[in-house]
Amino acid sequence: MSAQAPSRTDLLLAIADDELVLGWRNSEWTGIAPFLEEDVAFSSIAQGEIGHARAFYELAATELGTTADALAFDRRPDEYRCAPLVELRFVPDWARTIARHYLYETADAIRIAGVKESEWDELAGLAAKVEREEVYHLMHAQMWADRLAASTDGRRHFDEAVTELWPYALGLLEGEERERLAETVGREPVDAVERGAHTDELVPLWDEMTMVRRSAPGAEW
Amino acid sequence: MAAPRTEEEFREHVQAGGLVETADWMPDDYRAKLTKFIEMHGNSELMGVLPEREWILRAPTLQRKLALTAKVQDEVGHAQLIYRVVEDLGKPRERCLEDLVSGKTKFHNVFHYPTKTWGDVGVIAWLIDAAAIISQKALLKCSYAPYARIMKKICWEESFHILHGRDVVLAMVTGTDEQRGLVQEAIDRWWGPLMTFHGNQTPFDEDPMIEWRIKSQANEDARQRFLDGYVPQIWELGLTVPDPELGKDEETGVWQYSEPDWDELRHVVTGNGPRTAERLELRRISREETAWVRDVVLAEAA
Repeated sequence: MSAQAPSRTDLLLAIADDELVLGWRNSEWTGIAPFLEEDVAFSSIAQGEIGHARAFYELAATELGTTADALAFDRRPDEYRCAPLVELRFVPDWARTIARHYLYETADAIRIAGVKESEWDELAGLAAKVEREEVYHLMHAQMWADRLAASTDGRRHFDEAVTELWPYALGLLEGEERERLAETVGREPVDAVERGAHTDELVPLWDEMTMVRRSAPGAEW
Repeated sequence: MAAPRTEEEFREHVQAGGLVETADWMPDDYRAKLTKFIEMHGNSELMGVLPEREWILRAPTLQRKLALTAKVQDEVGHAQLIYRVVEDLGKPRERCLEDLVSGKTKFHNVFHYPTKTWGDVGVIAWLIDAAAIISQKALLKCSYAPYARIMKKICWEESFHILHGRDVVLAMVTGTDEQRGLVQEAIDRWWGPLMTFHGNQTPFDEDPMIEWRIKSQANEDARQRFLDGYVPQIWELGLTVPDPELGKDEETGVWQYSEPDWDELRHVVTGNGPRTAERLELRRISREETAWVRDVVLAEAA
């Protein structure tokens, strides 16, 4: 393996883990969203994210000589590279869910635009494909942000949630991409909650996510 | 033929295969029975999400997670479509949801039971959805045309769920002994509810839903179709059914089985199932917690 290999798979795993864990969190709304339409929308977004996670894991897996499922399910919690933002559990709090959705999709668009310029052709191609689909997630997030902001009560719920999650959102990105996010969202940069450490929410999530798979190690499902 | 204007004409019209559209005149009894029937179907699609949703989070591979999320999404989509039909009959969705969480209206017996393992996920998608599609296919002939029309999409999607379920089951029965055990235990658990799924043996001409051709398949016919289609498949996989009386009479072609537990069915659908209270409570709390979102959005729309 070349000296650069670890960093390029690290980047891939960071994106894949973000998408997997956020997809997992979003699917917690299945069946209990404020509108049936949002139930359907969040399920669809969750599938989009998990599908993207799978594509990124597959690319990482060829590099690391393993499989997408093994990367998604068979690592220990401390080996995951997801940002704390995606780990937080919000159900049944819609305001924070939408605030995270809006911040994540906005940050993700900046990140994916960068990845598209990668010299690693497969990764650049994958990013272009993902970008085409993520546009719809961003439109959905923006629609909800606007809708909540259009009423006094909604704006209060939404602004409080964005303020609380802003340091976490910055932690999704590196370097000057953070400034771009601050500009896009219209907020001042603050100290980020960095990727690397995990919140207390990850272990319970991991326990649940892997429980069936761990019950018969090595089995096909 | 002129549009029916009296209850008698209307009865003749629907019994002769005539269809009814939303704006057509209909007897109060027809509207009431139809609304109740379709609303319970909508409730069932929506409550059917809850036994499976927790397993989306536990799905053991990425592919299974995607497939299960898509399936559950379909069910919510069905609820949405069905409630729209109810809405056109005069009962708004919000009132359907209120009546559901307050226990005033019912939902299907199978959604009152717990899901204990990943084996249940396979068995529900395979066999419960198979039982459901048998009822739903018969509704393609419902006298109320808007309901019959949406049933096409619903049946088409349910047929994918059955394939997904069968695939989950196949992977497990060809896997380890433990995996195979999970499937067998799930069948043992779900057999009772499956046998009461299509309802009691009310004779065809005594079923009030048949009179108006809301339904056109007798309960027992649906159950026989289910047994005929699926028991041989269960046996083929080397699995067993927990009923020593079960077997097909080769002469009559009719399946024999032990008397299902009708008391349990009544008890469960009247709100006393093992998970009824918990699931309605989850729905009630999530409605309460998200009420402000509906207030905000609906106030804007007004």
